[in-house]
Amino acid sequence: MSAIDTPSSPSLWNPSEVKPRRSLILCAIGAVLGLLIAGYGLFTAQGTRIAGVSPENAATVNGIPILRADLIQQVSSLYAVSYAQATPAQKHKALDDMIREELHVQRGVEMGLPNDDIDVRTALVGASDAQVAQDTLTEQPTEQDLRAWYAAHPDTYSNDGLMTLHEWIYSGTADGAAKAAAGLRGGALASSLGLKTSGRVDDGEEFYFAARIHLGPALFATARKMRGGDVSAPFKARDGFHILQMISNAPPVPTPYEKARDAVLRDFQAEKVKRLQAANDRFLTKRADIKIASDLK
Amino acid sequence: MPQMHNSQSSALDWVARQWKRIGLALVIVAAIVLAFSIHHRSVQAAILRADPDQILGDPNLRDAALASGKSVFDRHCASCHGADGQGNQDRGIPNFTDEDHLYGTGTVSEIEQIARYGIRAYNKRGWTLASMPAYASAIPYASEPLPSQTPKQIEDLTQFLLSFTARSTDAAAALRGKDQYVAAGCWDCHGHSGEGDDAVGAPVLTDNIWLYGGSHDDIHRSIAKGRAGYSPAFAKKLSAAELRTVSVYVASLAATKPSSRKAQ
Repeated sequence: MSAIDTPSSPSLWNPSEVKPRRSLILCAIGAVLGLLIAGYGLFTAQGTRIAGVSPENAATVNGIPILRADLIQQVSSLYAVSYAQATPAQKHKALDDMIREELHVQRGVEMGLPNDDIDVRTALVGASDAQVAQDTLTEQPTEQDLRAWYAAHPDTYSNDGLMTLHEWIYSGTADGAAKAAAGLRGGALASSLGLKTSGRVDDGEEFYFAARIHLGPALFATARKMRGGDVSAPFKARDGFHILQMISNAPPVPTPYEKARDAVLRDFQAEKVKRLQAANDRFLTKRADIKIASDLK
Repeated sequence: MPQMHNSQSSALDWVARQWKRIGLALVIVAAIVLAFSIHHRSVQAAILRADPDQILGDPNLRDAALASGKSVFDRHCASCHGADGQGNQDRGIPNFTDEDHLYGTGTVSEIEQIARYGIRAYNKRGWTLASMPAYASAIPYASEPLPSQTPKQIEDLTQFLLSFTARSTDAAAALRGKDQYVAAGCWDCHGHSGEGDDAVGAPVLTDNIWLYGGSHDDIHRSIAKGRAGYSPAFAKKLSAAELRTVSVYVASLAATKPSSRKAQ
């Protein structure tokens, strides 16, 4: 018979016999195990205040950790050396600075600076919003989501259109301007028709956005619809009649999804961040006890 | 009746013996799990207490960090960077296996900084200093006044950049692009000679390593439309040990290991 089969008290563990002592022992074992598990959880949970400094931290200040990784970064930034090359004095100096900063942050909270100091308040609002954004970015959207976004915003993911044109000014009457436009259509030289350039689009080919700025929205809207060789009707303006003569016009071309994916992802995530920040605002408002003076309701 | 009592008693004895065996087995398993857990935690603690840039040079820490780091990489990084860490040029995902580093020099501590606080990830401790302006727009760069570029100027700049790798097809345009490089303010981030600046994530322009592709059209598009990739900040999502080990793993993927680069 093996040792396991020969307990010191043979009848103690016999399930056919009722033994209060056995019940007590089992209860005690259960209690000890429960305490061990609870203690382990209590003293190892993130943010737990314990006597020692956990390995990822360089120090704790009133239980708030200062990360070793941040210390390493601080030393490298301050002294432009790797952590291994830094002297103990440099490391201590950096750590002392970080501890001092933490002490002042805690003191600031103690004194209610988040209520009083406008910079602290601005920073807290920004950081709170930024936290929502950070959490958002750690979740990657699916390709299906990105393609749906791309399909829903075709104009965003296109090359800007290109146009090369002349903008002529005729200083005479409306009839003369109409004749000049007709002359241009017939292939006559602008100088022979009494036309002068406006000088706004003389740099050659330009992007649509630049043409829009140079011509103004109304003339650009006309120019955009013109094809190479087209001459517009004269537009009455303060300085005379403006006539557009299109040399070439290449409308925007959609960028293929694969080439635009980085921008699609960026825009998709930016929109998601905005949405979640707005949802966070609603959540904060909903759970808060906000009382508004009767005259301001 | 006595016979029946005897047989019942021996059955109960058998049950009792089985329970004892099961109990002993459970205690042994628990002890093994506990021992493994204590060992694992002690190794993790050693990895966390070590200078991150020295871990790859320490065989004991290295193996443990790589094993753990690969698992973290597979779960949180591989979906973008690829299972082999080779990235994706079409998507502007960097290749971890080459020797080129956009931010920093590829040391474990620098990679850990990126993993923890991200790049353009809304964390002020992350890398957010600069991004590539979109020169084919009315306002190329929101935080600094830069001149928009005409299609011809963007083509000239493209030819200039292609000329570094002897791929320019228009020498005159490349020459004009050299002047335009200064006029457009490219030098501010990329340096006067295109040497780049790893402090702001401005790539070297003179080599043939391209984050978003190095064809004429890719370069043209980068100049025209701008670039601003991001890397998430995992500070609140991964534990300190996970961040450290995944950084060691990523650093180990590079052809030249950071520990040897540091020594040079």
